[in-house]
Amino acid sequence: MQSKRTLFIIEVAIFTALAFVLDIIPFLSFKIWPQGGSISFVMIPVFIVAFRWGVKGGLLSGLILGLLKMMIGGYIVHPVQAILDYPVAFTVLGLAGLLAAATQAALKDNNTKRFIGMVTTGVLIGITLRFISHYFAGVVFFGSGIETMNAWLYSLIYNSSYLIPSFVINVAAVSFLFNKRPNLIAATTK
Amino acid sequence: MNKLILGRYFPGNSFLHRIDPRAKLLAALYFIGLLFFVDYFVGFIWMICFTLLVTKISGVSLSIYLKGIKPLIWLILMSVFFRVIFTVGGTIYFSKGPFAISSYGLLLGFFSFNRFILIIIISTALTLTTKPIDLTDAIDALLKPLRLLGISTAEFSLMLSISLRFIPNLLDETQKVLDAQRARGVVFGEGNLLEQMKKIVPLIIPLFSSSLKRAEEMADVLEVRGYQPSKKRSSFRQLSWRFHDTASLLIMGVLTIGVIILNQFPIIEQWLL
Repeated sequence: MQSKRTLFIIEVAIFTALAFVLDIIPFLSFKIWPQGGSISFVMIPVFIVAFRWGVKGGLLSGLILGLLKMMIGGYIVHPVQAILDYPVAFTVLGLAGLLAAATQAALKDNNTKRFIGMVTTGVLIGITLRFISHYFAGVVFFGSGIETMNAWLYSLIYNSSYLIPSFVINVAAVSFLFNKRPNLIAATTK
Repeated sequence: MNKLILGRYFPGNSFLHRIDPRAKLLAALYFIGLLFFVDYFVGFIWMICFTLLVTKISGVSLSIYLKGIKPLIWLILMSVFFRVIFTVGGTIYFSKGPFAISSYGLLLGFFSFNRFILIIIISTALTLTTKPIDLTDAIDALLKPLRLLGISTAEFSLMLSISLRFIPNLLDETQKVLDAQRARGVVFGEGNLLEQMKKIVPLIIPLFSSSLKRAEEMADVLEVRGYQPSKKRSSFRQLSWRFHDTASLLIMGVLTIGVIILNQFPIIEQWLL
């Protein structure tokens, strides 16, 4: 009999590693911009952890993913940008876990409509917060301290260009995965 | 699967390689912070000289560092360009509406360009000379103060190192599933976005299932071997702090004194403006 705590630690770690792998395999992501900003599956494992283990698991998984990305080839041009673009941007994805209990309940009742609604809302919360984080990082990046409208606009275009499609893909993929493999989500509730 | 992805670590035995990862991480963070306190042209020359020295003693050729800058260069140039045309001061060479090219603008553009480049080079130097696993240990050590707040940093760094440890395994596994799909005639990287997505679905389902299984097995193994999340663990890799580690932090002190002194001398600025 394993303790929940150990399983929690290992699962968060392995799913985060999987997220990182999904991000770096070339044709699993669709590069829009040469310097990052691609539509990829990187967020799916984080969302899965969030829906499985709740907010704490999601936040931890996101934080570790952010640190890994920063350690292994991150782009740093400004301390504030670095923190916003990596640890913060990915950690906030974990807040999708706010709806973990509700999602699991919906899945248990076989209420597909409600279940997909929950997943969509959770993913939306996570991605919106990630967008905000990247957005301000972008303002720091492009503007570096001067009050130009261009920095705000450019950051808006750049970040929404890949996060909006990512949102659609993530909702589809997470709902599909949970539907096909209910044990991905239902195994554990804290 | 290709190993180059994993870390840009360059094996070597330079002075920079041998410095304790904690000292290196601290020094790199400090250097980046210090860059924002440099006020004048001569100060930037001082920082550039130091950075060049660092790249020299890392034993890695400068072209590798430049490769790190390449993907970002257009973003950097654009940001510098905005800075130049929106700053007015000193001699004005050209002006139209709110835009102008002035000596002060060019100077500020030069500053922010250098700041971008130096930050990238220094953080590249850190990752080129430090193994990711050592960086994890360093992060763990630097997070230790959080323990006073009752946050369990040991668990956190365990997660970080397990993740890092499993990236190569998962890469291999992904490669296997990809090959299995290829053997069935799937061509990846073709077709429109929707078609590509459809091809990827049969790829990620086995990956997720096997990750889940692997996690369960590993948790069992850990338990069997007596791992308890709440107990204190000792470490197989011991970091030892030596004299040259302290010395490298002292060099940061020297660098700071240099910046403070040079901040008193706006030589180029006086001449330009």
